[in-house]
Amino acid sequence: MKAQDLSLRDQAAAIAAGDVDPSELLDAALARIEERNPALNAIVETFPERSREMLAAAPEGPLHGVPVVIKDEWPLPWRAQRFGAAELFQATAPEESGPYRALRDAGAVIVGVGNMHELGMGTTGNISVYGPARNPWDTDRCPGGSSSGPAASTAARMVAGAVGADGLGSIRVPAAYCGLTGLKPTFARATMEGHHLEAVTTVAVSGPLCADAADCRLLASILFGEKLAAGDAAGLRIGVVRESVSEDVVPEVREACEAAIESLRAETGGAVHEVPLPDIEAATIAGVLIINTENLHGATPQRVNNLHPDISPLNRGITKYRMLVPAVALVQAERVRAMMRRRLAALFEQVDVIAWPTVPAPAPPLDSPMVELPSGALAADQANVRSAALANLTGTPAISVPVGRSADGLPLALQLQAAWGRDELLLDAAEALERANERRWVASRPPLAEVEPTEA
Amino acid sequence: MEGANAPDQFIRAGLAAMGIEVDEIDLAVIAATHEVFWPAILDLLSLDTADLEPELFPDLSQAP
Repeated sequence: MKAQDLSLRDQAAAIAAGDVDPSELLDAALARIEERNPALNAIVETFPERSREMLAAAPEGPLHGVPVVIKDEWPLPWRAQRFGAAELFQATAPEESGPYRALRDAGAVIVGVGNMHELGMGTTGNISVYGPARNPWDTDRCPGGSSSGPAASTAARMVAGAVGADGLGSIRVPAAYCGLTGLKPTFARATMEGHHLEAVTTVAVSGPLCADAADCRLLASILFGEKLAAGDAAGLRIGVVRESVSEDVVPEVREACEAAIESLRAETGGAVHEVPLPDIEAATIAGVLIINTENLHGATPQRVNNLHPDISPLNRGITKYRMLVPAVALVQAERVRAMMRRRLAALFEQVDVIAWPTVPAPAPPLDSPMVELPSGALAADQANVRSAALANLTGTPAISVPVGRSADGLPLALQLQAAWGRDELLLDAAEALERANERRWVASRPPLAEVEPTEA
Repeated sequence: MEGANAPDQFIRAGLAAMGIEVDEIDLAVIAATHEVFWPAILDLLSLDTADLEPELFPDLSQAP
């Protein structure tokens, strides 16, 4: 197996042991990006000289010499973020963001910037100033968003791990669509320093997208600035919610997730409990309104009138509509946030995690991102935020774990959510699920990323 | 609001009041967005939270 096909942790271990030359690994990663990226548009910029400078200065940290991708949501010392858009309302400039510093101090080498859904305002990844990213499992399908490039580049094994951000499912949805593990950390636990919305966001967090939970644990430890201890999730109490998030999903998603929940229960010697969690729809619109207005930070009518001509017509219209959100709805959204936080706090006294599908249907076509659910056809964005919003609204951590394939060969995923600060438990549970299915889903790769044999 | 043109009036009047200009493409996008958002906003507003104690300045990294 070539070094760039190893996991994030195994690349780090191989370099530390002297078995892999990090300069060769960097060159191999850049070559693979050149080879695989044209079909995917996952990486929007590489900077080989900067990457080599990072490697030359890399300390002996836990990711010494390991190539990673960072989403176009974070500034680097040599590049301002573009947020997948021609223009932002907020001023940006090249600088050392928190994720950059965390990666640098861990010895990692940033090898490229990952594409993203324009302005972070979508879960499909089909709109970007750079053009859409594509799903490695089927390049006519959405990779998910808004962390489209981090997911597609990791799934295509251009790198073994990437840093994304999640304001309304933006790590979990692309992880689900691309067959990866993606952690949305507890609010404020991972660094957000240097983000252009750091001062105003109450929903967005940075987090890792990797092939499996152990790599997510390693990358999350770096973003958190603390080692995340591993456990076994023994006796896990799993909450199942019989609401639209688990009922209004396509049959193959439902079957895969129900089977995964049973496997997780058996593996951990735990129990499954049906738990009530009403008003998820109210929580969804509350989260949607909050992020849509927080992201307007810096928008004035004058600036809205003078949007860059390369902002997509969709986001141009939506930006104007967002200016009309009634204040009373925002007040009500905050009340719903308080209500759901209290309900979750009570619920997490009874169960350790709650489980439902990360997305209600596999990745939709890029040219028509709609999904056909039991309740009817729905825009994928609308369907996805229903499953994702609660964790962002309340601040709780959540993880997406691959649990199967659709009839079309697309990844299916289960989402687990836990109480505030229990990110480690989610990683433990994800690893238990991997053990239960003998790592079948985290080890599988899209055809364009099949493991290449080492040259003789 | 009542009447077939109510959303259109609300959107045009609201944006005009802020001095925000719109063209036909904007209006088409906004109308489609409104169709999705507005029923959910009305449902949100209809939720009775009068007895709910607000959580002032919540620390979202922790349980309430």
